Amino acid sequence: MSAVTGLTSEKAAAPQKRTSRGSLLLIFAAGPLLLALLLCIQITQGTAGISLSLIRDALFHPAPEDPFHQIIRGVRLPRAVMGMLAGAALSVAGVLLQTLTRNPLASAGTLGINAGAYLAVVVATIFFPSLMGGFPLLTAMAGGLLAGGIVFLLAGQRRSGPVRLALGGMSLTLVLSSLTGTLQLLFENETAGLFLWGSGSLIQNDWQNVTAIWPWVVGGLLLAALFSRNLDVLLMDEEVGKSLGQRIAATRTISVLTAVLLAAVTVSAVGPIGFVGLIAPHLLRLMGLHRHRLLIPGAVIWGAIVLVAADLAVLLLEPAFGLLPAGSATAALGAPWLVWLVYRMKPTRGDVQGASSGMGAGFRCTLPYPALLAGAGLLLLLALGAGLVFGGKTVPLPEVWAALRGEASKITHYMVIETRLPRLLIAALAGASLAASGTLLQGVVRNPLADPSVIGVTSGAGLGALAFLIVLPQLPGALVPAAAFTGAVGAALVIFAISRKGGLQPAKVALIGMAVSAFASAGIQALVVKAQLRVASALTWLSGSTYARGWEELAWLFAWPLVLLPLAWGLARRLDLLALGDAPAINLGVSAERTRLLGGLLGAALAASAVATVGTVGFVGLLAPHAARLLVPNANRKLILLSALLGAVFLVLADLVGRVLLAPKEIPSGLVVALLGAPYFLWLMRSAGSRAGAK
Amino acid sequence: MAVFLLLFMMAGCGNANQDTGSANSAGKGTSAVNSAEQKGANAKVDVGRGLEIKHALGTANIDGTPTRIVALEYTYVEDLLALGIQPVGVADVKGYQTWVNTTPGLDDSVQDVGTRQEPNLEAIMALEPDLILTSDFRSKEIYDKLEGIAPTLAFSPYQEESAGVDQYQEMIDTFNTIAQVVGKQEEAKQVLADLDKTYQEAADKIKAAGKENAEVTLVQAFSNQNSPVFRIFTDNSMAVQILNKIGLQNAFKDPAVEVYGYAEKSVEAFPAVQNSDFLYIVQQDDNVFETHLKENQVWKNLNFVKENRTYALGGDLWVFGGVLSAKTLVDRAVSVIAP
Repeated sequence: MSAVTGLTSEKAAAPQKRTSRGSLLLIFAAGPLLLALLLCIQITQGTAGISLSLIRDALFHPAPEDPFHQIIRGVRLPRAVMGMLAGAALSVAGVLLQTLTRNPLASAGTLGINAGAYLAVVVATIFFPSLMGGFPLLTAMAGGLLAGGIVFLLAGQRRSGPVRLALGGMSLTLVLSSLTGTLQLLFENETAGLFLWGSGSLIQNDWQNVTAIWPWVVGGLLLAALFSRNLDVLLMDEEVGKSLGQRIAATRTISVLTAVLLAAVTVSAVGPIGFVGLIAPHLLRLMGLHRHRLLIPGAVIWGAIVLVAADLAVLLLEPAFGLLPAGSATAALGAPWLVWLVYRMKPTRGDVQGASSGMGAGFRCTLPYPALLAGAGLLLLLALGAGLVFGGKTVPLPEVWAALRGEASKITHYMVIETRLPRLLIAALAGASLAASGTLLQGVVRNPLADPSVIGVTSGAGLGALAFLIVLPQLPGALVPAAAFTGAVGAALVIFAISRKGGLQPAKVALIGMAVSAFASAGIQALVVKAQLRVASALTWLSGSTYARGWEELAWLFAWPLVLLPLAWGLARRLDLLALGDAPAINLGVSAERTRLLGGLLGAALAASAVATVGTVGFVGLLAPHAARLLVPNANRKLILLSALLGAVFLVLADLVGRVLLAPKEIPSGLVVALLGAPYFLWLMRSAGSRAGAK
Repeated sequence: MAVFLLLFMMAGCGNANQDTGSANSAGKGTSAVNSAEQKGANAKVDVGRGLEIKHALGTANIDGTPTRIVALEYTYVEDLLALGIQPVGVADVKGYQTWVNTTPGLDDSVQDVGTRQEPNLEAIMALEPDLILTSDFRSKEIYDKLEGIAPTLAFSPYQEESAGVDQYQEMIDTFNTIAQVVGKQEEAKQVLADLDKTYQEAADKIKAAGKENAEVTLVQAFSNQNSPVFRIFTDNSMAVQILNKIGLQNAFKDPAVEVYGYAEKSVEAFPAVQNSDFLYIVQQDDNVFETHLKENQVWKNLNFVKENRTYALGGDLWVFGGVLSAKTLVDRAVSVIAP
């Protein structure tokens, strides 16, 4: 399996390797032909029926008055050209980043660069419209650079394992896109034009976008080609590199900037499109291309092929599905590809070791554990009390008390007992379940950045719920949780079934989870497009909401954590042993594989029950365990209990804030969690990064 | 399915050509009421008082005549206003004023109860309503909670074609059901008779302008993913059915069945309908015709653009509305096509 591990294991050998003539012919002769063929087919596809002879006329004898000619020349050609440019740019950015980080999983999408650039565009559109009008490219680039920088910091050093970096990028992407989503919800009018652009679309109306970006893309590609010889040196041994001194540093800086430039340019024109930067370079490496002198031109051609093919799929599906974003097509193509790559991947030592470093973060609190537990419990009680008192209308404490004893007026009773209490309890239980699930999954994957949404369980639930809401609207709404639960468990089973081969390697579980997550997200996007007038209910569910959850939902939810949390607590000690590494754990009589399978399934079930009730609330599974780790040492038993309490506090507070802030409008609590959690998470990353730097 | 489509199209043509005399159309108005009441075999009148109404999400028992009504969807707000009732609570009042903007409008006394998708249950409860009106596709998940507050009627405006309920008839039936529940049947008859009169007068004007059976394309436009998206209305939509009633024909033919009554298309869909009159609805702050399409070569070369046959109907025209919006649509269409 050279494609994935090749970058590091062949670092010295690669440049000397000869590429066979057959592959060269395939890449550089058949590639352009295939691209030309795809472009020809693409131009014939669209709403207006257009024949080949019409295309010939439009190209060679254009009639400026004929709208069909104008469609070909002004709509379809720019779309095709944009597809080529964006595909080439993303794939070369992928090659550069993979070489720079010596990480086969690096790409503008996985490192969060796309998401950062997109967030910057959204922020600028809302707050600094003049900036966006004048320097859209610079804005996107600044955002991309910032996000890329954060991921590098977070994942520690350049040499950190591929999985660590990819997970860091994934969770940062998650953070950034929920920030983007919140901004879009709060500033609906300002961002109307950007809505759903977030998934990337190649639709063009004229040549304006193409003329704006082509000099940058071509410039970036040329720069990359110019430095291709130096890039080979980057893959050599560190020692060799050191002897070359300054030149290496310069190459590195220029390559990073080029990669970010290429990614940011495409984001500013077509939105974030993932996976192209993974698929195209991997295809080339599989075909035996390793030297950058050939790799970069090859990536230009094959990146264009991948994106144009994905866009063609979008066009072919349009009559059945409506206008799908191209980003969801690349994800649908790319996710199975990633699964397949990972499936064939050999475990590397780097992934097995070292991954759990950074699990214990920050300053240790010196308070004794029981005091911490009591404190968290008190916090939860306070939050619950505040949740009962405050809302659209404030109910004074004595009246709350009266309502709890069943002596209040009908309206107060309704507000406190029928509305606020059940949804607060649900928020608490769901928060606790998500937090415990996060702790378990982080133990299983041995990475502090794993959580139910990164692993794909949440997206699976979302896909299940949306499929139910949109495809079968005639069935009763009470079955939505069941559908979501099925989706989540289904996703978990797929992940564990695939990663079972080779004994549930943590790295594999994480990567396949990411792939499944991306695949489910592509399905979700397709369904959201299909939802049309039902889109509001779909989007609200996706943002995660404790809205209008009552006693029936509570009755459904509470059994799960009641059974699963003690089981998780029981399993926690074995996970502690796993953290030492597989071999010591086995010596101590713990089956690594079985423990991981149990932990993973428990975590998935906990998350599934929570998500089925409150929708796709992210972050709690990431935030609560982190906060708990700041307070107690790395003992999973203590961690699970404390992080469950903290998770409950988080979600209860989010529910409260969502109800009070814009009353009578309610903000979905999932978005509140993202809004409150993102800055905290970034701060955590920063402190983790600075410690890694100091080491 | 094909047979059904054919029947459906014939019915559409029948409607358009039938409006020859005002007596005839008034007769249609009453027959609509009757059909609703027969259909409303699902609405049984108890001996003393109290109604049992079967609706999309269940059965509601209504004692007496409701006076404190909360409406969670714009259409039903309209229906109440048309009957001379001010609701006590409305979801997204600001949105109603921006998008729907009917005459008569909402009083200042009407309380906002949050968003249409997630209305604030506490705010609804605090209003102590005796009737809640909503749609099945927004309130399916919270129907139980709403019913716990007050009797709730949920209507189903978008049904699969196989259900045999067209959007226009559903709107009229719903209006009549609401009128029956709030005890305003006489007013409802008058409103529908007036509406038929509006159709008739509009049809006459269009005939006089020589535009009878003229082809039109009705489009709602907005930008999405940085490019304009067009909702082009299909024959089964309420808006097109209304245009049919005043003697206009839909130029857009969509092979797919659109449950919601429109297809989302890009600018590529227009050459096929470029000889029709282009009626569009766009928000002023998202006017894609002024921004994205202004310099667009495809757009500029379409016949209806070159011949100045594109007509704005105003951003506050609600094509998914009720009887008041139907009148607004007719008035505005006539004012641009047969001025």
